[in-house]
Amino acid sequence: MCVLYNPPQLMILKARLLVVAIALASLLPSAQAVSWDQPAAALARQIASLSGPGPVQLVLNNRSALPATEVPQIRQLLEQDLRSFGIVPGSGDSTTLVRVTLSENLRGGLWIAEVKEGTETRVTMLPVKLDASSAAPGAPTLTLRQTTIITESDPVLDAQVFSSTGEQRLLVLEPQRVMVYVRTATPTTPPSPWKEEQVLTIPFLAPLSRDVRGRIAAAQDHLFDAYLPGVLCRGSNNWSAITLTCSGSDDPWPITATQKAFYDSARDYFMGVVVPGFGMQLAPFYEAADIPRVNGSATLLNNVNGSAVLVQSNITIPVNGADNWGSDFAAVHSACGSGTQLIVSGSGSAAAGDSLRAYEISGREALPVSAPLQVPGVVTAIWPASSEDNATVVIHKAASDEYEVWSVAASCN
Amino acid sequence: MLRQAAISAVLMCATIAASARTRPHYGGALRIEVHGDAWAPDGLARRLVLDGLTKLNDFGAAEPALALQWSQENHDQRWNFQLRPGVRFQDGTPLTADAVVASLTALCPNGVSDGFQCPWNGVYAAGPTTVIITTAKPYPDLPELLAQTQFAVSRKDPSGVLLGSGPFRVSGFTNGALMLTAYADCWQGRPFLDSVQIFQHRSPRDQWLDLSVGRADIVQVPPELLRQAQQQHMNVLVSRPVDLVALALPAQGVFADAAMRQSAALAVDRAALYNVIFQKQGEVDASLLPQSVSGYSFLFVTDRDLNRARTFRRGAFPTAVLLGTESGGATMHLAGERLALNLHEVGFNVRMASTGEPAAIMLRRVHLEETDPRAALDEMLAAFKLDVTVSGANSRSIWQAEDSALQSNTVVPLLWLPRAWALGERVRDIRLSPDGEPLLADVSMEGAK
Repeated sequence: MCVLYNPPQLMILKARLLVVAIALASLLPSAQAVSWDQPAAALARQIASLSGPGPVQLVLNNRSALPATEVPQIRQLLEQDLRSFGIVPGSGDSTTLVRVTLSENLRGGLWIAEVKEGTETRVTMLPVKLDASSAAPGAPTLTLRQTTIITESDPVLDAQVFSSTGEQRLLVLEPQRVMVYVRTATPTTPPSPWKEEQVLTIPFLAPLSRDVRGRIAAAQDHLFDAYLPGVLCRGSNNWSAITLTCSGSDDPWPITATQKAFYDSARDYFMGVVVPGFGMQLAPFYEAADIPRVNGSATLLNNVNGSAVLVQSNITIPVNGADNWGSDFAAVHSACGSGTQLIVSGSGSAAAGDSLRAYEISGREALPVSAPLQVPGVVTAIWPASSEDNATVVIHKAASDEYEVWSVAASCN
Repeated sequence: MLRQAAISAVLMCATIAASARTRPHYGGALRIEVHGDAWAPDGLARRLVLDGLTKLNDFGAAEPALALQWSQENHDQRWNFQLRPGVRFQDGTPLTADAVVASLTALCPNGVSDGFQCPWNGVYAAGPTTVIITTAKPYPDLPELLAQTQFAVSRKDPSGVLLGSGPFRVSGFTNGALMLTAYADCWQGRPFLDSVQIFQHRSPRDQWLDLSVGRADIVQVPPELLRQAQQQHMNVLVSRPVDLVALALPAQGVFADAAMRQSAALAVDRAALYNVIFQKQGEVDASLLPQSVSGYSFLFVTDRDLNRARTFRRGAFPTAVLLGTESGGATMHLAGERLALNLHEVGFNVRMASTGEPAAIMLRRVHLEETDPRAALDEMLAAFKLDVTVSGANSRSIWQAEDSALQSNTVVPLLWLPRAWALGERVRDIRLSPDGEPLLADVSMEGAK
């Protein structure tokens, strides 16, 4: 067994952290307009250093993915900035030609200016950041609301927010570490940005599976447990900082409030063995959730073979209407409808992008109760959050190779 | 051309992202057919069986692979690589610094390998997990360069089978297929597939036939057949341009005179190659780097100028020159014939070399793995054995180094071509590496359990 104790950090935790809900905001990411002022001024400065003041012919080409509508604005800015350096664009009879090309490479924009005077050509280049904007649509009867918690460059398996008086801590589980972020949060002031506080390393105990999954969950007698394939890490507060103790483990992972299941550490699913058991053999499954029923509750399983089943009173009931489900879901509670909704990822070919959608289970039917919420990437994990009214969703954005962690809740229209 | 590039880019983005969103299933055997040799320096088998000290992310930066971390000393001329603990070769032997040194030294005994220049001049073990690499000149991009497949770490077992630490191990050669089996203890995790069968040296016609009748799951689509594949509604993955077609004019014989090389460079008709031979795929370029990597390739003039070409030839009537082609089969031969005609037009006496005849000038097809601009230029300089040092990491420094390298016209870049693959219905979760090769370790099969 390999055990790792993390060294104490500077930050002092004064009391054991209580697990509370993440405050949900109904803010959607707003489109951000890109400002070209700075790059235009920088390029004008570089051109001025090559050509000196005087009249020039200015030619502007766009060889990048920039929309054509942006080009006149850039040209206008560039002309203004060139004039501030004593360069007068637009003189058709000038012998100096300045050809500006708005180009790009894999790293972003690259603006190139060629200054031609007679037979001599001098070249200058300016890397330019190109930002993307994003937006997400709303929905009719019940609306899925998302709040972006954090964006990471490394793969994220799960994330949970733990709160105590006046501050919150965000624990982000990655395959090789747990990142700890902190921020102040009071009822009267908006929360401050997350600030990195600790990095808790998970030791190498065995190769992780290729489609690695992990779960972070609050614990009874210590702060949290982090479950990874074949590894269990225990997070504790020792008065000075959070410490992490990891060991090889086949212990079952929590799947609902009352049940745990054994995870196949060489694959990406639960083997079908749950504790306490149902007295029957279950098929391998990806996710489970408790669904309230008139006479108690049932457990919903998302099987590896693509089907969804309800297990109730030791009977397995196939669920209709789950054909379009992806592999991940989590149950959330709300004041709408039956009070319990499933937040489910999409399935099938992802050419049109991934999505999240809320469903309710009525009888043996899965009924969609929200419009799909498009996500700017692929959903890689959905786990229940520490509060029952939201779920933690991890999205991989292929374009930027970043992982966004969302808190998602269902709200009534 | 731009429109074509845009279509290719859109197609690539759409298809590369086209992984199913349900979790990948474990199991299944995948059959893939290729035109070339799976064990070529950048071949598919090497990618599946072996790992490098580093690997490249989608933006071309080096990330840890067999080496967990690295540091440089002596102005980027001495590098320390710390090996990842717990990695084992596929026969269970631990990966050690000695094993890495033996592998790299065997590849480049004196810093030079067949066909390319190695960046190092010394490789040493400093303890069981530390490898020191020294270079004759500063190589700030050495971690990126070591990610190239040709520098992957390997060893041979007593029976001569190549072993690595990658997701698949060689399990045999049966019925013309190289058989690879999932390596369960791979440090990156077991692949989803149970096995991969690679059928080598298959003609495009045979590959497409096998795909159509379900005997293959993934086959290659040569650039010149890409349009046809799309018309046939094949499910095709297309990379960005990753293969450079270039004319190599060694400074000897007829082309020892720089003016003759300049004349030949001005005589080549890139547009004809692009439009006719390669069916408007890829991009016309006179640069050692594709536009998508450098962002500046349009600064190198691609236009043909016969008048200037004749001027540089200065009325000389050079002796006969043999033009050879390197890989690519019939299409490259056609391209060579076209170039010979171009050179004839300005007075060069060029004919295609027959099999076995030593060629004075070569039409080469060179693959680019790197996507970081500086590392990419270093890779191409090494491939063409051009002795130019890139002095900085910014775009202007890289362009200046490339401009300097191309001044001599010993290499005349012509076109950049994409790589493309057609997929069977059962293949899912596939995407291409930045250099256009399928990442089979992440592939799963529909219906596998």
